[in-house]
Amino acid sequence: MSAQAMLPDRRAAWGRARPRLLLALPVLLLAGAAACGLSAWRGARANAGIAALDAGRDIPITAEAPAPLRLARVMALTRRGQTEEAEGLIETLETGPETQLGARARYALANTRLRRAFAHLARNELDPAGPLITLARQDYRRALQAWPDFWDAKFNLDVASRLLRDFPEFDRKSGDELKAEPKKIWTDIPGQPRGAP
Amino acid sequence: MRRLWLLLALLAATPAAAQVHAIEVRTPRPFGYFLGDLVQATVEIEAEDGFVLQSASLPRPGPLTYWLDLRAVETETAGPRQRLRLTYQTFYAALDARSLEVPGFPVTLVRDDGRGATSAPVQVPAWSFGVSPLREVQPPRRDDPADYLRPDGSAPRLDPAPARNAALGLAVLALASLLWLALDRAWWPFRQRRTRAFALAQRQLAALARGPEGEAVYRDGLLALHRGVDQMDGRRVLADDLPGFLARHPAFRPHGPELARFFAASRLAFFGGGVAAARAQWPLARAAATARGLAAAEREAAS
Repeated sequence: MSAQAMLPDRRAAWGRARPRLLLALPVLLLAGAAACGLSAWRGARANAGIAALDAGRDIPITAEAPAPLRLARVMALTRRGQTEEAEGLIETLETGPETQLGARARYALANTRLRRAFAHLARNELDPAGPLITLARQDYRRALQAWPDFWDAKFNLDVASRLLRDFPEFDRKSGDELKAEPKKIWTDIPGQPRGAP
Repeated sequence: MRRLWLLLALLAATPAAAQVHAIEVRTPRPFGYFLGDLVQATVEIEAEDGFVLQSASLPRPGPLTYWLDLRAVETETAGPRQRLRLTYQTFYAALDARSLEVPGFPVTLVRDDGRGATSAPVQVPAWSFGVSPLREVQPPRRDDPADYLRPDGSAPRLDPAPARNAALGLAVLALASLLWLALDRAWWPFRQRRTRAFALAQRQLAALARGPEGEAVYRDGLLALHRGVDQMDGRRVLADDLPGFLARHPAFRPHGPELARFFAASRLAFFGGGVAAARAQWPLARAAATARGLAAAEREAAS
């Protein structure tokens, strides 16, 4: 078939397709505009939530909320010392795709633990301070594992590490990776001495 | 890339020694690491042809000592060289610049020549890198010890601007495409388009078909279709002019027989005085359907 003969064919095909395309185009574009508008509205609402949490107002957050909003809630909870409530949300952030936000949440939790330890140390209460420092170091380490270039976490881990040094002679193979349950810290205390005196 | 290399002359006594020629451990830099930094190391093993690293013998990622994690292990074959890329992460909180030794580990090379597998154990030597302190040994005194810490920071805000701009842009495009559709279908505000004569006839016929039936209504419907044909051709078209009309507007050729029936019904209704007979022959619903088909053909022809 020659090029001259193909041209009218193509024009006829375009003529048949055009009215349908013209009908579909506004529908598709309007659907796209609505989806983008919804996304923008959600973003603005999340920002309002973050501002409220930063201002000290407590608002409930679900695990499906946007990641920055969950992080803001974790920071608000840790500021008030509610570390147990924060843990669940931190895990949702750490398993999500935004690992840096998870690292920042973990870091906020570690800071709270370390500040609490400082408060104990200021009152010369050494026993409760030790486990808190160990937990804080574990949390800083997890934050750095998720985000190795997190400089604030490096700095604060250095502060915590100087409070409580590791003892290499114990040949601790796992270091801060020891899976200590925060609520079962007392199991670290040595038991009764066994055997004859 | 500065090389830190440790060339290991393997013991000639073991049979494996003949198969493995050299081992080298390289790092991009062997000094200046802070706690939390990633340390890259590449182990290059030069062996006889066919030997590859046995994946089961490779070190498993995880914590190695209290201050060192192994994060990733990747293997690569480049000719006779077997390359092992290791990523460590150091957590050593140094008070002064010092060198730390990373323990060595054994790996196994295997060659499967079809008759059986030959394995050669290899010991990757220990190597070291230098860590540096992050802070001064004695920072200036603070009243509140919590002031030594870096602050928590605040949660980042979402940026709704890109989504908002996309929504606005798409809405503008949707409006433009709606206008285009209105132009194509001769909707408001393009009702009087000359090239959309049948669109008007179709609308009038659809309105008439929805209302109560009657002889006057039927006559109005036929007139609407007549006006459409006339406007399309730019002149008065009667039954005898139909072949000429179809020749001038080939897009409506498929509707030729239906148009002929329309002209026959029109002649019967207006000049034969038999509106009822015309209605029975070619009812209003059929006129509306014809107008719909003509309007679609006129849109397709107007590309």
